[in-house]
Amino acid sequence: MFKTLRAALLAAACVPALAAAQDLNQMSTDELYALAKKEGSVTVFSLSSRIARVEKAFEAAYPGVDLIGLDLSSAKQIARVVAEQQAGVHAVDVLYMADAPVVLRDLLAPGRIETYVPPRVADQIEDRFKAPLLVHRLSTKVLMYNEAAYPNGSPITNLWQLTTPDWMGRVMMVDPTQRGELLDLLTEIALHPDEMAAAYKAQFGTDIAVDSDLGGAGEQFIRNLFQNDLVLLSNSDDLNKAVGTKDAANPPVGFGTYSDRRDNEEEGWALQVANNVEPANGILFPAVLAVADKAPNPAAARLLIDFMFGDDSADGGPAFAPFNVPGDYATRTTIADDPDSVPLEGLKAWTIDTESVAEHRARIADLIITLQ
Amino acid sequence: MSTLDIAAPPRRKLLDARRLAPLLMILIVGVLVLAPLLRILLATLTPAGLDAWSAILASSMSPNLWWRPLMNTLILGLGVSAGCLLLGGFTAWLVVMTDVPGRRILGVMHTLPFMIPSFAAALAWGTLFRNSRMGGSSGFFEANGFVIPDWLAWGIVPVLIVLIAHYYSLAYTIIAAALSSVGADLVEAAQMTGARRPRIFFGIVLPVVTPALVSAASLTLAGAVANFAAPALLGLPVRMQTLSTRLFGMIEIGQAERGFVLALLLIAVSGVFLFLSDRLVSGRRAFVTVTGKGGRTRRFPLGMWRWPLFAAGFGLAILTTVVPVVVLVASSLAPQTGALFSNWTLHFWLGEGGGQIAQGNAGIFRNPVLIGALFNTLKLGVVVALISMVLGLALAHTITRNKGTVLANVLSQLAFLPLLIPSIAFAAAYIALFGAPLGPLPSLYGTFTLLVIAAAAHNLPYAVQAGRSVLGQISTDLEESARLTGAGPLRRMWAIVFPLAIRGLLAGAILVFVKMVRDLSLVVLLFSATSPVLSMVAYRYAAEGFMQFANAITVLILVICLAASLIAQALQARIQKWKE
Repeated sequence: MFKTLRAALLAAACVPALAAAQDLNQMSTDELYALAKKEGSVTVFSLSSRIARVEKAFEAAYPGVDLIGLDLSSAKQIARVVAEQQAGVHAVDVLYMADAPVVLRDLLAPGRIETYVPPRVADQIEDRFKAPLLVHRLSTKVLMYNEAAYPNGSPITNLWQLTTPDWMGRVMMVDPTQRGELLDLLTEIALHPDEMAAAYKAQFGTDIAVDSDLGGAGEQFIRNLFQNDLVLLSNSDDLNKAVGTKDAANPPVGFGTYSDRRDNEEEGWALQVANNVEPANGILFPAVLAVADKAPNPAAARLLIDFMFGDDSADGGPAFAPFNVPGDYATRTTIADDPDSVPLEGLKAWTIDTESVAEHRARIADLIITLQ
Repeated sequence: MSTLDIAAPPRRKLLDARRLAPLLMILIVGVLVLAPLLRILLATLTPAGLDAWSAILASSMSPNLWWRPLMNTLILGLGVSAGCLLLGGFTAWLVVMTDVPGRRILGVMHTLPFMIPSFAAALAWGTLFRNSRMGGSSGFFEANGFVIPDWLAWGIVPVLIVLIAHYYSLAYTIIAAALSSVGADLVEAAQMTGARRPRIFFGIVLPVVTPALVSAASLTLAGAVANFAAPALLGLPVRMQTLSTRLFGMIEIGQAERGFVLALLLIAVSGVFLFLSDRLVSGRRAFVTVTGKGGRTRRFPLGMWRWPLFAAGFGLAILTTVVPVVVLVASSLAPQTGALFSNWTLHFWLGEGGGQIAQGNAGIFRNPVLIGALFNTLKLGVVVALISMVLGLALAHTITRNKGTVLANVLSQLAFLPLLIPSIAFAAAYIALFGAPLGPLPSLYGTFTLLVIAAAAHNLPYAVQAGRSVLGQISTDLEESARLTGAGPLRRMWAIVFPLAIRGLLAGAILVFVKMVRDLSLVVLLFSATSPVLSMVAYRYAAEGFMQFANAITVLILVICLAASLIAQALQARIQKWKE
């Protein structure tokens, strides 16, 4: 008797719960905080270990809500969330991850996550960064060179130079069949055949002849680059050392992360971005924030995402501080870029088009596998 | 009364431990190993999975996705396993069977390389041999005027060397455990009848330790084909891919089905070799040496070869243990990762935060998380080592006592597989299997229990192989006589098998403990508590680019493993008092 009554009450409670999820997306931070305090905690998977610093700032700002942060690479987050939800486990609230093309296909499309845009900052973020996924910041995979060895600026001004005999065996990249960002980089290049063809003409003076089995100048570039003995590495640390070491004679160039330049002094590197490159020097790719489906702490999850976009000051305050590094770019327009690095508008990198990269990524991966 | 007497035997036969045990074992292995494997297999039978099969086996990508990685994997597997048998066998013989000087210290040193993560040995190789292909600062030899060709700096040769240097100590541990049970009576009998030394070696010692040799060969083969760090660090610059770097990469770039197909193929290939090696053992007569009589170990006098062989054994230990450890320790002291031996500071261990070094981070011993992590790591390592050794001993017992039957073959094959299942797939399967409530059992998601179960299953191969190589030598006479005097299976296990097998069991437990303390990938996917384990703290530092902190923690892990193996040796000496 009592049991059936309870079941009925529970069923009745579920209907407003659906409507409540809609409401949560509109709530102010104060309202969310009031609910989050009842929930008591929020669990986040993060691609960056900097979540430990967010934890401190968050728990100071919102006492009573315990942040449980777990470092996991994007691939592991995806594997874990898929496995958990298939088992009916809903344990994580917030996902902070890269690999946006895979996230789109494996998590967003099947409804395993939802995109929540905090109303507080919604009109300070460009539309393309709010849908289909909410982008927190942009990181880079761009051409880096050694500024100690080349004091007059980048030795490369056109991507096609990398396919010439001068640079044979002297261009480096973390293996794109091991790391998603590099695969995204090559896919994005393949998605710009016209620009790549124009750059080819600017470099060599003739029109490009694309092999019959390839789909444009971008794919031809990928083939020529691999055939010019592109050196593949297993991690970015090796790449930075190889490209950046200060006293190196005749150092190579490589596709790396702009923000790694911040370690120059400490590590004895001379990494610098090659910005003046035709048609582009690489890609900007997003780190996204999303709420997991049936998150156990829906209000705290939203509160955390709101919090991670920082306060209204120019550096985003303590909440954004862990992510405010030169060479990474906040999507929130009120947060100023670092004065010592190239501003976002001036960086000659393509911002990846997540949906088309997702569509073409597997094909480019297949092409690369045949070239290795 | 009389009817009861007649009815009793069949029922007792049905419940007889001899029958029940194998069934129980099949059930355990089925749940722990077969279920996750089936899940992976099913994932490759979806439309996307079938595409992956054809992409790998029959497309223009097959040469680069399957055939060449397969060839590299086979060369590595067979080469490493042969090299490990030679080096591990030699060192084990030297330490256990001869009067070489400094046996104790040699014995400890040769167990160390397996405790050092294989990437540390790969990094050490790079520090010495890297050449201009990698740009940056050149390696030690090039800086000193030698020209290092690509084949010596990168690719299959250095990977082979590094993996042998890493895994030979695994072979050493297993072979040494078996050698120590070659009784003095056998050797003395041979000597008295005038057998020469080679004859004793090939006629007595070698046949007796063959099960251990096969175990060691199988484990090192499986370890080498599944190793990711060394081929990734040293192979990629010349575009050498193995099946494990391929399958890791496929999962990492979101093509999980292809990764699973490669994993299944890797399992199939290794399965063939393991099956053959099993045939090798079961096709010949077994030799039991632990008979309860004698048991002292007889040492060969080396005569004039004492010091040269000491130099060989010690030199090997220096190269495989001291060099990587020095590189690790130095890199936890050097502010710049490029200049290992200059401007040393203890900051990364003890320093207060807030300064210019390491972006103001404090040393690891000032990190409040560390003590908790240390405790968690020990707890996890000990619990997993104990549970997997109990499971492993039971399994090994069932396998050796049913030797030659289909059941034993199937069990021994299955017990091996976890070594070859990529941990990301393994963990995902475990979450899927135990995440939901299973009948009366509650959901194990996020619990320490699930982590322990998965880790025990993942480490089962080490436990089973360690158990097998020792149990194979224990005479069934002892158990039979105990059974005749009315001892139950548990009593027999505890009073006879356990003390006699203790050395092999402890060796296995140490291997499991070390693997558990050192490994990250499985833990990181199943752990959900805030308090991490040491390897996760190291990963956190490494992800931030603070290699010094990460290396400092690796050194700490090394110290823990070393302490554990010393404790195990002391324990063994106490239990097997009759030995010396």
